Amino acid sequence: MTIKIVTDSACDVPPELAQQFDITVVPVYINVGTTSYLEGVEISREQFYNRLPTFPEYPTTAAPAIGAFTQLYEDLTAAGATQILSMHIAHDLSAVYNTARLGAAAAKSAPVTLFDTCQITLGAGLLVLLAAEAAAAGQTIAEIVTMLNEKVRRTYVFGMINSLESLHRSGRVNWAQFGIGTLLQIKPIMMITDGVISAAAKVRTRKRALSQMLKMVAELAPFERLAIIHVNAQEAAEELRQLSGDLFASLSEATPLIQGVTPAIGTHLGVGAVGFAAVLAETTG
Amino acid sequence: MTQTHTSEATQTAPPPPKWLHCNGQQLKKLAYAALTWLDHNHQHVNALNVFPVPDGDTGTNMLLTMRSAYGRIQNNEDEHVGKIAEQLAHGALMGARGNSGVILSQIWRGLAKGLKGKEAFDAQDLADAFQAASETAYGGVMKPVEGTILTIIREGASEATDAAKKSSDLRFLLERVLERCNQALERTPEQLAILKQAGVVDSGGQGLVYIFEGMLRYVHGKMNELKLSAMPGSNHAGLQHQITAQELAMPDGGAIENPYDVQFILMGDNLNVTEVRDRIDAMGDSTVVVGDETTIKVHIHVKDPGVPISYGISLGKITDVVVENMQMQMEEIVHVPGAQTAVPHTPPLIKPTVQPGQIGVVAVAAGDGLADIFRSMNVSFVVSGGQTNNPSIEELFQAIQDVPTDKVIILPNNKNIILAAEAARDLSPKNVTVVPTRTAPQGLSALLALDPDSDLDKTTEAMIDAAKEVSTGEITRATRSVTLDGVAVNEGEFIGLVDGRLCSSGTELTAVLNAVLTAMEMEDRELLTLYYGQDIAEDEASELASQIEEQYEDIEIELLSGGQPYYFYILGAE
Repeated sequence: MTIKIVTDSACDVPPELAQQFDITVVPVYINVGTTSYLEGVEISREQFYNRLPTFPEYPTTAAPAIGAFTQLYEDLTAAGATQILSMHIAHDLSAVYNTARLGAAAAKSAPVTLFDTCQITLGAGLLVLLAAEAAAAGQTIAEIVTMLNEKVRRTYVFGMINSLESLHRSGRVNWAQFGIGTLLQIKPIMMITDGVISAAAKVRTRKRALSQMLKMVAELAPFERLAIIHVNAQEAAEELRQLSGDLFASLSEATPLIQGVTPAIGTHLGVGAVGFAAVLAETTG
Repeated sequence: MTQTHTSEATQTAPPPPKWLHCNGQQLKKLAYAALTWLDHNHQHVNALNVFPVPDGDTGTNMLLTMRSAYGRIQNNEDEHVGKIAEQLAHGALMGARGNSGVILSQIWRGLAKGLKGKEAFDAQDLADAFQAASETAYGGVMKPVEGTILTIIREGASEATDAAKKSSDLRFLLERVLERCNQALERTPEQLAILKQAGVVDSGGQGLVYIFEGMLRYVHGKMNELKLSAMPGSNHAGLQHQITAQELAMPDGGAIENPYDVQFILMGDNLNVTEVRDRIDAMGDSTVVVGDETTIKVHIHVKDPGVPISYGISLGKITDVVVENMQMQMEEIVHVPGAQTAVPHTPPLIKPTVQPGQIGVVAVAAGDGLADIFRSMNVSFVVSGGQTNNPSIEELFQAIQDVPTDKVIILPNNKNIILAAEAARDLSPKNVTVVPTRTAPQGLSALLALDPDSDLDKTTEAMIDAAKEVSTGEITRATRSVTLDGVAVNEGEFIGLVDGRLCSSGTELTAVLNAVLTAMEMEDRELLTLYYGQDIAEDEASELASQIEEQYEDIEIELLSGGQPYYFYILGAE
C-alpha cells in the first residue's frame, strides 16, 4: 500500500521536507492585476516580496484550477498510489479545499481522502508533516486521519502583525470586527485555531506585542511541534527565536524550524509579521 | 423656552405675604425663577473652576439640567404639586450632565419623592422633602465628599427642618435655607483643601445657591426684572447628522412617506452597480447608489429599512449600516423651539459588527478626529462631548439603548462625565458597565482589551487595567491665574497637565510641552501618540512631532488629528 500526500503551497511545508517525504505541493495562484502567477513556480517567494512594493495593484490570491487537482490525482494513481491524502488550508478561509474536493470528484478512479487542516501556513504544514511521518511509519489512512482529527484541535498559529495596511487592503477578513481600525497604529496578535481567526491581543508597541505573544504561547506549553514563521522578515524571526528562550527546550529537534510564509498568505498579513506555528503536546489525564 | 412663555411667567404675582401652601403652579414659578437666576449667573459658576483649564462648565451643566427639568413642566397646568415635582425630577434626570448636574438631578428626585401624592406642600412637607433631597443626593455618589454641593443641600435641609418648627411660612423657610446655604458655601474652602489652594468656593454648591436664590426672587416679587435668555447652542451634544432644510420641508404637513433613511456599504464579488441601483431605487426615494463591482455605497429613504438591508445581504456582506428614523427626528425638532438646524437626539448608528449577545461600546469623544478614531476601534456609538460640552444622562442612555445588543460598556473619557455615565447605566435595563476613563488616550488604551465575545465583567476589568497602561498629557490655555500643585499660572498662558495634575505653565508652547514630556517619563516609553486639536494646523503639529522625534530617538511617534476644542495637544505615552 502506498499512501501519497498532497498539499498546497499555502500550507508552507518547507521544500526540503516536502522532498524528503515525497509530498506533492500544488501551487496556488497569485494575481497581480490581470497577470496570474503560480506561486513558487512562475514567481519565487523572494521575487514576489521584493517586487511587492512596485506592484501597480495590490495582489490577490486564487485557488489552483480544479483540473490541476484532477490531473494530479489521476497521475499519482497511475504512478502507483493506492491512497491519496490531500491536505489543505482551512476550508473556512480559502477556496483551495473545495477546489481539491471538486478535482477529486472528477478524478473517477483516484482514491482521494481530503483533509481540512483548519489552519493556514505552517499550522497546516506541521499537520502535513505529521501525516507524512505517520505514513512513512506504515500507518493506514484511517489511522492517520484519526490522528489528524485529534491533533487539529491542538494546533495553533500566532502572528504579530507589523503593519495593518495589508490586512485592510486584502479585505479577506472583516478586520473591523476585531476592533483594529485604520487610524491608530496597532500591532495585533492574531490567533488561528480550528479554522477561526481571532485577535488574541491588541497592543500598541512592537516590543510589548512580541512579549505578549511569547507569554500567550508559553502558556500553551508543552509542545509536540513548535516553529517560527515570518513574512519576509528573516531578521525579525531570528530575533523572536532569541526571545523565545526555553520555549523550544522540550523539543527534540536540534534547530527549530524557521519558515517564511507563502505570499498567498503573506499578502494578507503584511511583510514583517512574525509568529509561531504550534501543535500542543497531548495533555495527560 | 419661548419669549411668549417668559412674559407670561413673569407677569405672575408673587405668593401672599404669609405663604402657607405651595401648589403645583407655584412650584412651577419657583422652578422658573431658579432657572432664570441660574441662567443669569451660570458664567460665574463656570469661573469657579479649581483647575485653570477650560473645563469649567459646572454652571452650564447645572443650567442645562435645570432647563431640561423645567422644559418638562413648562406647558403643564396641573395644580397638583406632587405631579409637577415628579415631572421636574424626570426632566432633570434625563437632561443631567456633568457631575454637578447629576447631583442636582438627584436633589430634584429626592424633593419629588418627598412631595409625592401631595396636592400642595406646607413648610413641614418642604422640610421633609429637603431631607429626602439631601439623602438622595448623597446616595447618588459612590464616595461623598464634603465641601461640595452635597454639603450645601445637607445643611440647607437641616435648616429647613429647624425653620419649619419655628414658622409655617414658606417664605421664612426659604429665606433661612438660603442664608444657611450661603454660609455653608463660604466654608467649603475649609473643607476641601483644593478649593482653598485655588481660592474659590465650590462651583456646584454655588450653582445650588443660585437656584435657591432665584426661588426667593419669585417669593420677593423680583421676577419681572430678568428674562430668560435664549440658550445659545442649546447643546444637543452628540450630533452626528444635521437635518437639512430640504429634509425638514414637509409638503404634506407632517408624515414622511418613506420615514427611514438607510445607508450601508455593500461588499461582494462581481456586483452589478446598475442592477443594484435599479432594484434599490424601486424600494423608496432619494436613492444614491455608487461604487464598483466589489464595493457599493447605498443610500435610500424607505418605509421598511429591512427591505434594502435584506437585499444587500443577499448579494454580499454589508457594513457601516446606518438607519435613521426621520419622522421622529422631525417631530423632535418641531418640539424644540428655535432649533431648526439641530436634531435633539443622536440618530442611531447601528454597526453590524456588534451582534446581539456581543459587547457593544459607547464612548464619549470631543472632536471629529477622536470620534473617528474611537469608531475605528469598534466603538458602536460615539457621543460627542467633552471638556465644556458634557453629554446628558439622556444622551448617554439613548446611546446605550441604540446599540443593538444588551451588553454595553461606556467609556466617559472625561472625569466630569463619569457620574452621568453611571447614572445612564443605572437607568438602562441593559447590562451596562462603566470603565471610568478620564482621558481619550485612556479610553483608546482600554479599547485594546475589548473582547466583544467575552464575559462583560471580565472584559470590563481587563479594560480598566488596560486604561492604566497609558499616561496622558494635555496642553491647553489657562483660563485664570492661580497657583496649584506648586505651579504658578497666569491667565492666558499655556499650561501642561499630566494625568490630571498641573505640571507646567509658560508663554512658550514648546517649553510647556517639554515639561509635559519629562513628567510623562518619555525616556522610558516606547510610543507617543500625539492628538492635535482643532486650533492646530497639521504642518505645525508635524513640525512639533519631528522635534520630539529628534529629542527622543528611540521613541515611535504617531501623529493624529484629534480635532478636539481647547486642548492644543493631547498626548498618550506608553
